[in-house]
Amino acid sequence: MIYFTELDHLPAFDVKGVFLGQLVDLGINPIRNSSRVEEYLIETPGRERLVIPHVQMQAISNRALQAGQVAREVLGTPNDALIRVKKDVLDQQIIDVNSRKVVRVTDVVFEIEPSERHSHLRLVAVDVGAAAGVRRLLQGLLAKHRIRVVSGIFQARVIPWEFVNLIEPDPARRLRLRISYDRLAALHPADLADILEELSPDEQRAVIESLDDETAAHALAEVPDKVRMALLEQFPADKAADLIEEMPPDEAADALQSLAPAKSAEVLAGMEREEAQEMRGLLGFDAKTAGGMMTTECVIVRPEATVADGVEALRAFEGDLDEVDRLFLTDAEGILRGMVRLARLLLARPEEALESLATPPVATVPAHADIRTVLGLFYKYSLLVLPVTDDHDRLLGVITADDAIEHTQ
Amino acid sequence: MTRSNTPSKWPSRFWVTAVLFLSVVGPGIITANVDNDAGGIYTYSLAGARFGYTLLWTLVPITVALVVTQEMVARMGAVTGKGLADLIREEYGFRITFLLMTCLLVADLGNTVAEFAGLASGAAALHISRFISVPLGALFVWLLVVRGTYRIVERVFLVACFFYVSYLLSGFLAHPDWSLALVSTVKPTVSFDRASIYMIIGLVGTTIAPWMQFYLQSAVVEKRVTVSQYAYSRWDVIIGCIITDVVAFFIIVACAATLYVTGHHDVRNAADAAVALRPLAGRAASILFAFGLCNASLFSASILPLATAYYVCEGLGFEAGIDQRVHEAPVFYTLYTGLIACGALTVLLIPERMQVPIILLSQVANGVLLPFVLIFMLRLCNREDLMGAHRNTKPLNIIAWTSSVLMIGMTLVLVFLSFGPTP
Repeated sequence: MIYFTELDHLPAFDVKGVFLGQLVDLGINPIRNSSRVEEYLIETPGRERLVIPHVQMQAISNRALQAGQVAREVLGTPNDALIRVKKDVLDQQIIDVNSRKVVRVTDVVFEIEPSERHSHLRLVAVDVGAAAGVRRLLQGLLAKHRIRVVSGIFQARVIPWEFVNLIEPDPARRLRLRISYDRLAALHPADLADILEELSPDEQRAVIESLDDETAAHALAEVPDKVRMALLEQFPADKAADLIEEMPPDEAADALQSLAPAKSAEVLAGMEREEAQEMRGLLGFDAKTAGGMMTTECVIVRPEATVADGVEALRAFEGDLDEVDRLFLTDAEGILRGMVRLARLLLARPEEALESLATPPVATVPAHADIRTVLGLFYKYSLLVLPVTDDHDRLLGVITADDAIEHTQ
Repeated sequence: MTRSNTPSKWPSRFWVTAVLFLSVVGPGIITANVDNDAGGIYTYSLAGARFGYTLLWTLVPITVALVVTQEMVARMGAVTGKGLADLIREEYGFRITFLLMTCLLVADLGNTVAEFAGLASGAAALHISRFISVPLGALFVWLLVVRGTYRIVERVFLVACFFYVSYLLSGFLAHPDWSLALVSTVKPTVSFDRASIYMIIGLVGTTIAPWMQFYLQSAVVEKRVTVSQYAYSRWDVIIGCIITDVVAFFIIVACAATLYVTGHHDVRNAADAAVALRPLAGRAASILFAFGLCNASLFSASILPLATAYYVCEGLGFEAGIDQRVHEAPVFYTLYTGLIACGALTVLLIPERMQVPIILLSQVANGVLLPFVLIFMLRLCNREDLMGAHRNTKPLNIIAWTSSVLMIGMTLVLVFLSFGPTP
């Protein structure tokens, strides 16, 4: 194991023992190998930059680098297709995918892998702990083995390289470096939202752009309004429309409401007709009322329908099925007559009428009721969902317990 | 969109602009106002008491320099979305950042002590014991940040900014010679005697402190001001700087109209000025002056530790922000709490003459830091890869470098002078 603080400024010699210069940076080519050091960047005493490819590196120790015969390749412009350890990793913010945090890299950990004729370096981890800070402070001031002793007193916080996600706002370079945020898609939207909050606007955009719309939308639904607004404002209207369409309707309405009026109209125009219609309906409600809290995503069937019809309605349902735990029965006027839990549906015979399985709603709330009333009903009756009705008792939508919880903060 | 110039559109456009402005207002006004802390008020009182209206003209170039530097950091915050400490770490590495942060910590600890001392003396002028004012004040600012959200904290700070109005009132109550005051503001008069040059150096030297740059940029970032909103944020900065120097103007005027006119040239500290005002400008003016001092000190005693906690955490990679919970950002809250506790306890437990070295040390640390901070700022603000189209223009660079060099020079001279006997 060797740290970048120990490699930095190491003298490099060629095969005859002639001093070439000092190591100033290491390059990794993610297309060839995600962790092997591909190029060693040397600065000569004449301030020239040399590149030593890894195949020519014969021996590496914490005292010196020993390069092979043909070690000279003077560098014109820096190679943009490499991850530069000093420039792109050290002191930069990275996403620790494993512990779902944004952290700043203080030192980089390598392993020396000797083989028959040459040896190479493999990047194994980044260190973000206090020990790394001590090494950076003492680098070049004390002997290397002393620094190890002193820094050993302090805590190291090592993140394995495979869990490190670099952040690169430039899309072209991101592509060249094979940086993707695929692994972030597996995180819970709330964790992803926490990560997004830590990033600068450019970086947030980079992450959102590279995620699929659905994952991005779920994460966006969780970030504070202000962050979401700033992000959506940055995207062209059609991309914003795609993202908002993927959000749950209530969050989508909140997002639209937070945009500037002109932008919001543009986004609405870019949405699919049905969804846009739904949004316009929700936008009519004040965000601080039951109408503003509710979602229109629920499965509604007629009371006289059979269990088979109910299952069919579930199949045809376009919203998020994971959020559905019951069917709502409304009559021809749209008045709520009852609800059927899915478990009941599962155990009943297909030809049975849904009405016979239904339980009347424990409570409903008018759309203009305030948050306090809504929360009061949730507490009093320990509700999972609360149907929202208009002045004529017609079902408009439902408030789910998780949306209610969000408003308790 | 076509631009409509029909008069009927004006009110609605005015309101749109007003709302957009209000959504970003805060960081600039708050940062600039904290500049008028206990030390600032003392300097301005002294300038008024010793030189009357003659040094009022210095406020004009001071305002320009303040606007130019503050505007740069606010712009960097909006464009990059990162704090100044973040940027310095990314561009100049860990060691420089660590040293800078350590010096800033020392400087700000001393400053915090000075602010609590200001609170103690201001309250004493209002006949409130320091053993009441200091612990209560410390508890108040601590609870505010630990329990509050960014929005609440910012609003409380804006209210504190409003209380600076007490200096305007005490200025009026002092019945100054307005025409002379206004003429002195626009017409520079330079006399080359030692004392007035020292005073000018003092005025300029207290204008820009390193912590302000860090605080302003972090606040702009935490407020999530975007590039498109930046035009409004710039007004926040400009208005803030102007308000600050208007307040300074009234402090100088109040002291000039009373202390200077009656030959009361020596003021030991800001509270002393408040007490001295009583027989000359009346009880109300004196109370307003002392109240303003308490407000300013308390306000700064909260912002300084807050700013310190922000940039130390940013630079060294810890989570920071008022909107974070205590367990999410432990280092941030530990620093904030520690600085307030140290500041308050020092004022309560250590005798006054032994506080002087601490305050002096912080002045030195500030003076040593200022060149580094300003030069880093200027270089970062000219980087195309960071700032893109928003990097400094050439004319702005000329003004910024000139005023930075002047301020650095004057601040360093002030540091050296603070060791010698005052003239």
